[in-house]
Amino acid sequence: MKPAPFSYVRPMTVEEALFALAQQGDEAKVLAGGQSLIAMMNLRLLKPRCLVDINRVAALDYIRQDNGTLAIGALTRQSAAETSPLVLQHCPLMTEAIQYIAHRPIRNRGTVGGNLAHADPTSELPAVAVATDATFVVRSANGQRTILAADFFVGHLTTALRPDELLTEVRVPPWRPAGQGWSFMEVSPRKGDYALVGVAATLQVKDGACQAARLVYNGVAGRAQRVPEAERALVGRNADEAAFREAASIASQRVDPHSDFHATAAYRRDLVNTLTRRALAQALARCGKRSA
Amino acid sequence: MTTQQTGYRWIGQSMKRVEDPRLLTGRGQYVDDIALPNMTYAAALRSPHAHARIRSIDTSKAKAVPGVILVMTGAEAAQQTGPLPCFASPPVTQYCIAVDRVRHVGEAVAAVVAESRYIAEDAADLIEVEYEPLPVVTDPEEAIRSTGDAVLHPERGPNNIALQRTLTFGPVDEDFAKADVVVRRKLRWPRSGAQPMETVGALASYDDATGKFSIYANTSMYNYVGWLMAMSLKVPAHKLNIIPTMAGGSFGSKLFTHKVPILAATLARACGRPVKYVEDRIDNIMNCDNHGSDRIYDLELALKKDGTMLSLRMTVIDDYGAYLQFGVGHHGNALAQLTGPYRIKSAQVSLTAVMTNKGQQGAYRGFGSEVNNFAVERMADAAAEALKMDPVDIRRKNFIQPDQFPYKIPTGNVYDSGNYEAVLDKALGMADYHGWRRKQHEARKEGRYVGIGLVSCQERSVFSATEFWFWNHEPGFALTSSPDSVDIKIDPTGKAFVRLHAPFWGNSPETVATQVLAEQLTIDPVDITVTYADTDSGLPGTGPGGSRYTVMIAGAIAGAAKEIKEKMFKVAAHLLEASESDLELRDGRVSVRGTDRGMSIGEIALQAHYFKLSLPADFRSGLDARYTYDHPYTTLPNADRTDMGVFYPIMGHMCHIPIIEVDIETGQIKFLKYVAVHDAGTVVNPMTLAGHIRGGTVQGIGSALYEHYYYDSSGQLLTANFADYLIPTLMEAPENIEVGHVVTPSPYTEYGIKGGGEGGRMGAPAALASAVEDALKPLGIKIDGLPIRPVLLREMIREAQQRRTEDGAAEDLQGPSDWSGRSSREHLGGPPGNAER
Repeated sequence: MKPAPFSYVRPMTVEEALFALAQQGDEAKVLAGGQSLIAMMNLRLLKPRCLVDINRVAALDYIRQDNGTLAIGALTRQSAAETSPLVLQHCPLMTEAIQYIAHRPIRNRGTVGGNLAHADPTSELPAVAVATDATFVVRSANGQRTILAADFFVGHLTTALRPDELLTEVRVPPWRPAGQGWSFMEVSPRKGDYALVGVAATLQVKDGACQAARLVYNGVAGRAQRVPEAERALVGRNADEAAFREAASIASQRVDPHSDFHATAAYRRDLVNTLTRRALAQALARCGKRSA
Repeated sequence: MTTQQTGYRWIGQSMKRVEDPRLLTGRGQYVDDIALPNMTYAAALRSPHAHARIRSIDTSKAKAVPGVILVMTGAEAAQQTGPLPCFASPPVTQYCIAVDRVRHVGEAVAAVVAESRYIAEDAADLIEVEYEPLPVVTDPEEAIRSTGDAVLHPERGPNNIALQRTLTFGPVDEDFAKADVVVRRKLRWPRSGAQPMETVGALASYDDATGKFSIYANTSMYNYVGWLMAMSLKVPAHKLNIIPTMAGGSFGSKLFTHKVPILAATLARACGRPVKYVEDRIDNIMNCDNHGSDRIYDLELALKKDGTMLSLRMTVIDDYGAYLQFGVGHHGNALAQLTGPYRIKSAQVSLTAVMTNKGQQGAYRGFGSEVNNFAVERMADAAAEALKMDPVDIRRKNFIQPDQFPYKIPTGNVYDSGNYEAVLDKALGMADYHGWRRKQHEARKEGRYVGIGLVSCQERSVFSATEFWFWNHEPGFALTSSPDSVDIKIDPTGKAFVRLHAPFWGNSPETVATQVLAEQLTIDPVDITVTYADTDSGLPGTGPGGSRYTVMIAGAIAGAAKEIKEKMFKVAAHLLEASESDLELRDGRVSVRGTDRGMSIGEIALQAHYFKLSLPADFRSGLDARYTYDHPYTTLPNADRTDMGVFYPIMGHMCHIPIIEVDIETGQIKFLKYVAVHDAGTVVNPMTLAGHIRGGTVQGIGSALYEHYYYDSSGQLLTANFADYLIPTLMEAPENIEVGHVVTPSPYTEYGIKGGGEGGRMGAPAALASAVEDALKPLGIKIDGLPIRPVLLREMIREAQQRRTEDGAAEDLQGPSDWSGRSSREHLGGPPGNAER
């Protein structure tokens, strides 16, 4: 379980990192927290020729907000985001979801940007990013662009990032707590395992009626999957158990999950159904409350 | 007797482990911590095929890698090193590197020695092997019918049956004829394994000036059967010294790990430099040669309608994998407590042991008896249900009674002592069993599925040797000894040294030795040092396994201490001018009874070492003794095997009561409470025993709910890493496993100690199956197999809900029932229940 030979670059600035990526092209992998990459290299599932280690690029480690928009630097450790009052205030869904990422020692090393750029379809943060309409700031030696979360995740471990690009920041649009509820729920074989199914749910309720909803799932497709049909089934309805049941039923029919050793497709559908119902109920209970 | 004997100073104390200061500060010296000058590192190339002929191997590219010292194929290794040790009769040939044919995924086909492990793995990637795939056998029932190229070891016969035999104990047919009820059940116990933190490793060197090997290894039994490794290496036994290292966990799986040391030694001799080979995790999972039992049971229990158990019939198929190193010893082991704690008068076992393209079985906490416990306890539950009896009542009705010990069970083994009702009652009280039955009833009204499991299991302890061979048609090497030894010396200042002749493998041998010797010599534990002998200096030492080591070294220490005391009394009597019969040993002093005249052990030791001319003429200098303690009570089996003799008489017992809740919508299981009451005889150290019980219980929870070496039909191991092979962590364990003790001392052992090392794993799997089945009783779900994974449980719940809907039953079940999506269970690892096999 030793990795194949590789070279190693340790930039101190974003510019140096971008330069290294421009030079190495698709021979390189960016090393952030290393919690997935190093394991894959040790198993020789990945044999990058070069590692660009961004752990010293301090400029990418920050959490701030600007007029309600939450901005998280890509090198921010997951545990820092997990315990950040700013994240809790501006994206409580993320605070809740991060607790499902592996275990604390892993979150102490793993980064927000690394998690998103790795694009594991079972991962929690991509679902949160899609559910909150987050945008990703991406830079290369040639410039900068922003990508909407829904466009960023292309498929299994695949994103819209080009080989010479580095994800530098995640921006989460302003969150208005009034009448808004949220919930992240997940089932995994053990605490911290890869999700079998997870759901990121948000709900906006006014006078008992559902005005908007988001339902995004991890673990059911090659990437975080939103199910607009289930969301539409909620809008305009009384936010109650009957509506949640119907949305849950629709969601479980719309997803097309795979079977593997840990779960059959049928089981994953069952989980989508159950978790959707439970998450919507919890989101409703939180509507109108500040981040609980 | 249900309380600990009193009057001991150290026996019975929860003394902190003397091993821990160095283990917890990183000074434990595990095998990978050992370094020798000029050391090299080995890696193995692993077969991707489950069954194939090796057509050719091209090692030229690997040899060309800078830093590579040696590349060796199986054929090359076999020119120097013979087959690995094997206790099966007739033996099954296995080499440290596969020769001509691979029989399971991951088997080594070549090894590389290099200046670093990195280089060795780089080079292994460059070895080109041409395979000719052969038919793969993974289904144990199919293995019975294998022919032709699907036969793994054609030299042993034309099929994959390793051993087939029926043993009958007592009037089984008559007892079944007398029965009012016969309860039948088909059970599936899946393959799992120990998963020690430290994998198997060895650092071997060969001195061509003396022709002698030295091997640092984390194996056990080296002072019992270690010389077999010398035979494999084709050197005389005295040309191999095995030096034990602290083992980072064994749970049985390092019982006699011979392949890795022999591989390292073979490579070291070939390249002339020390070679370190330590399995990585995938190696250990695939190739550790210590997979656990993998059994299919057809069971019949004959009862009277009042619940009296009469007779038990078992038909069992056991999938041994590709080799058969320990024969079918696991089924010998199970005969020790075949009928559990119950007065079942007769029994029959029909065993078919088969060979398949999987890693071979070895030892794992329970050694086959934990599976027998599962079978017996599932049948006790099934009988209770069939007769509409409470699971507590049916057990109570059939328990062997305290005044019936020593009690001979149908197989011939004897149970030394016990008080099963006392254990049961204590557990019921600790668990508030009746209170939980009420809470369960209330919960069901709210649509919650709470389950209460209960098992009463045996924990046979102190294994002896006959179980390894008495199933065989031709016993082969029918050994009957399983001794353990210590040597003890008191230095000139009065400090004590104990040397053990078996290794540390994760238990607490130093702590036990310290407490027992402190008790024997009335000295302070801080004045005792414990070390481990290598084979050069080793006395007979079977070592830990089968929950034996505490009993065995207590016996050995008591024997050696007696000799030391005699010597001390001789010195003291002479110098104090007193009669030996007037002396007593107390608080580290030998004194004339009733006076203040006496000498400390230090004063006596000084005299014994340096002042011979002040002592009686026949006194031999020094203060030391060695003692080899044989198993306290064993007898031979009879010729026709209707009586296996006494081979495992030191009988512990346990009652486990888990209380769980099933989320029927997700199939997830949550612990509400867990009570484990054990009887391990006189307790040497309640804290370390509780550690065995709790750790074993969590391991048993792993076997029950999570763990599975799952091979698909092409022989690929789908759970070959810790992302897929799931071990319960603290998060999956009950918040508190409440441990209780009942003490019925063994009449046969020093201090009345019984073994307790296999602990909770002997009971937890059956207890969890019982609890889940109890929770889902309203749905009519039976738990007939493990692990009870949520995906499979949910599938059974979904089917049960559909059945109820189709039957027009009241829709009193929450959750969805609108999904008919079914998928093949093949890749799911089979069902936990409802006998779909």
